[in-house]
Amino acid sequence: MSTPAHPFVSRPSAARTIEKSTFWIFRIATYIILFAGLAVFGDIVVKGSSAVFGSFKETDRFPYFTNTFLAEAPESLYVFEHEGMKREMGDREYRAFREKETAAAAAAGRPAPKFKAESYVYSAGGIWPCIVGTVLLVVGSMTIALTLGVSSAVFLSEYAKDGPFVRFVRLAILNLAGVPSIVFGLFGFGMFVIFFDWNVSLLAGWFTLAFMVLPVVITASEEALKAVPKGFREGSLALGATKWQTIRSNVLPYALPGILTSSILGIARVAGETAPIMFTAAYVVRDKLPWDVEKFSDFFFQGVMALPYHIYVVSSKIPQNAYTSRVQYGTAFVFLGIVALIALSSILLRNNLRGRYKW
Amino acid sequence: MQSETQPSAIAGHQPKAFAVKKARTRFFGLTLDECIRVFFGGNAFVAVIVLALITFFLFREGGPFFKMNRDSIRVYRVAGLEYVDIIRQQEQDHTALTRYLFDIRMKVVKQLRDERGGLIEADLKAARLTVEKLLSNGAAAGAPELIQAQMRVDEFQKADSALTLEINASLAAFDKFAERYGDTVLPVRGLVSDIGEVATGIKSRYTENEDYKVARAQYLAAGKKTEADAIVLKEIDFKTEVAAITAIFPTYQQMNQEFAVGLKRVVNDLPILPVPALQPRMVRFSELTDLYLAGFPETEVRLKAWDQLAPVPWYHALAGFIFGKQWLTASFWQDWYGVVPLFVGSLMVSMIALAIAVPLGVGAAVYINQIASSREQRLIKPAIEFISAIPSVVLGFFGIAVLGQSLRALSQVEALSWIPGFPYSERLNALTAGVLLALIAVPTIFTLAEDAINNVPRAFKEASFALGASKMQTIIRIIVPAALSGIISAVLLGLGRVIGETMVVLLCAGNRIAIPDFTAGLAVAVQPVHTMTGIIAQEMGEVVRGSIHYRALFVVGLVLFFIAMLINFLAQKIVRKYRISVG
Repeated sequence: MSTPAHPFVSRPSAARTIEKSTFWIFRIATYIILFAGLAVFGDIVVKGSSAVFGSFKETDRFPYFTNTFLAEAPESLYVFEHEGMKREMGDREYRAFREKETAAAAAAGRPAPKFKAESYVYSAGGIWPCIVGTVLLVVGSMTIALTLGVSSAVFLSEYAKDGPFVRFVRLAILNLAGVPSIVFGLFGFGMFVIFFDWNVSLLAGWFTLAFMVLPVVITASEEALKAVPKGFREGSLALGATKWQTIRSNVLPYALPGILTSSILGIARVAGETAPIMFTAAYVVRDKLPWDVEKFSDFFFQGVMALPYHIYVVSSKIPQNAYTSRVQYGTAFVFLGIVALIALSSILLRNNLRGRYKW
Repeated sequence: MQSETQPSAIAGHQPKAFAVKKARTRFFGLTLDECIRVFFGGNAFVAVIVLALITFFLFREGGPFFKMNRDSIRVYRVAGLEYVDIIRQQEQDHTALTRYLFDIRMKVVKQLRDERGGLIEADLKAARLTVEKLLSNGAAAGAPELIQAQMRVDEFQKADSALTLEINASLAAFDKFAERYGDTVLPVRGLVSDIGEVATGIKSRYTENEDYKVARAQYLAAGKKTEADAIVLKEIDFKTEVAAITAIFPTYQQMNQEFAVGLKRVVNDLPILPVPALQPRMVRFSELTDLYLAGFPETEVRLKAWDQLAPVPWYHALAGFIFGKQWLTASFWQDWYGVVPLFVGSLMVSMIALAIAVPLGVGAAVYINQIASSREQRLIKPAIEFISAIPSVVLGFFGIAVLGQSLRALSQVEALSWIPGFPYSERLNALTAGVLLALIAVPTIFTLAEDAINNVPRAFKEASFALGASKMQTIIRIIVPAALSGIISAVLLGLGRVIGETMVVLLCAGNRIAIPDFTAGLAVAVQPVHTMTGIIAQEMGEVVRGSIHYRALFVVGLVLFFIAMLINFLAQKIVRKYRISVG
């Protein structure tokens, strides 16, 4: 058909073609971003999942299975040839094996076998201490950040009247949000580790991370508080409640879900940052788990291993090859999985919440 | 409260006592409600306090750097190292000239090969490939086609080496010239290394003595007098010690004259290159040598005017940091803490990242907000937000494990060799880091730019449509300009995010501390660099607490801090100043 059915259907023209192709350029830009994200995600999931899912092992105690990658501490990996067979073993297993073989050889009157092993640090075993450390860091720092941040937001949204003081505080919050994470690391090192003499410790890491995430928490909480309708407060005040009673019973409960979901974004940030904990809380390797302490107070003044720092260590300090890729990709996969889960739950919860409260 | 103290409105009438009375608990004269208010207010102040504390502690740890740097420069001067460096500069300039000669030689060889040997090389490559293919296909060692192919390889190899010999022969005159040119500097080089040793000797004895002084002070502070007295301090008399260095001046003058004469003699008979097209380069070279020779008297003047005891003004320490082109630590000669190479590295990586992220981020924002269907919107927006949750250290690891190799492999594809800098061999470089940083910047830019576009009033769009503009015209001429201030501030905040990013650059930027060679044009993007954030993360763990190096890292942190503040400030300013007023 050469003529359009009705006169308002647009005819193909040069301008339309240009418009169409321009829109396609925009569309392609969007999909390039998605593709890049997917490539990173996909690569790590594909190559990393085998490290986690391939490490299940049966045990003779409840629950009758364990995952060596998730539940063990990192070890050195030894790669050697023995009786024509290439073997890979973790540190402890290797030592036991060597003793056994030597004893067997001595019993049989043969000369002791020689072991020429290549070793790769951290490449065997698992990442259990790192997971524990990360969880501890996140829980502690978020407790501090939520306490400070929610109080700050309550003041800004409920008590403060617009004025130079509030503007100043808001400016400080905005600027704090822009400070690079490595500067927080330096600050934490200078203040907590050196000046307060806490050394590399959980406590120093908690405060450093809490201060870093503070602007996120304040902004998110304020938004949630602002979303509670004015009528709630006015009704309560009209019934004779004091300001604090109003806030406690009529504002905070309704703002709390919003505060928590938005703060989850902060959690993702805390869990994902490496630079601030590099000099304040993270150890390259630590044999003891955090609860193996003599005194209770020692708990706060010990460094921990952390997933992001472990990724940094295994990706920069050991070579890239077939033996090390298990720990490298596996750690990245577990870490990415944790962070992605946090972020995903935040996004889903928020979408859910938007539909629930309508006032 | 007010009702309790309010005087009666009607005069002469006794006010009735208020019926309900409640004693209020007071803490420090404040009611409970006021206390709560103060508590919340105090918490609001935390952000301000943290910002102040950051500034304070960065200055506390970094501030003494400038004094230490000044001392370091003073020792550099007093111990005569500066004097040696003046002569060394001359020697290094000569080395640069010899490098120019080598460059010419390489060009000549390449040209000759291209003219005559291009075919041979291709043949050799093809023949080798055939052999490999045959071998991988499992050809037996004695198979006739394999033997034939190997013979072909040998044949081409022979031809190739014959060509190399021939080229070398044709360059014999040039090589001789280059050798003679290089030899002229030898006496000066010897002199520099001799007096250099003397100078480092003086300096190391001085630092040793300083260490003893510190130890002695510590003993005295601990009340251990005998131990303190056991330490023998040997004060260095710089004046007489350095006299041994400056005494070489007459020898140097003599040497310099011979050097100049020798150079002139060598340059006077320039060799004829086998490639006439490159002869102008030789002429240029002789001009450069003349320039170099013209600088000799100045060196002598500087040496003569050099004053060992000239004071080092305070701003030298500052300028040495801000404009210093070298970041050189743990050197046996002299440590330099110049932030320029790191700053340039940071800036370059950020620019690469923005060059990729701005078109993508803004394009995606326009697409999602204006063009996409609502179902696409609902899917893509969270997906991009999700990308922002990928931790930077994971991205850095991805760069090391995958992206570095992939980009290098891509650069070695023949069809892409027209791109400047391609092919390259360094796996980790500014480009790799920049590409990954772009992925970090994109969500920031996208979210903020989308917000800005979303805030453009509907009326603008409707008015534009009503006037008959097409959708594209409306978007490009109306909506994007109206949201421009927001978009620019989004880009600035993206820059802030990228310039402060640590792990990606630490893992993927290549970590070579040098100002990239900008003469390479756009190919500069594939050179390895080091960044301000990267250097802090890399060296902080290894330095001695309280040393000048340690303090220098804090000053770098301070610079970063202020850059971040500046970017933030600009972003806010732009939003406020150019916000379109609606209504």
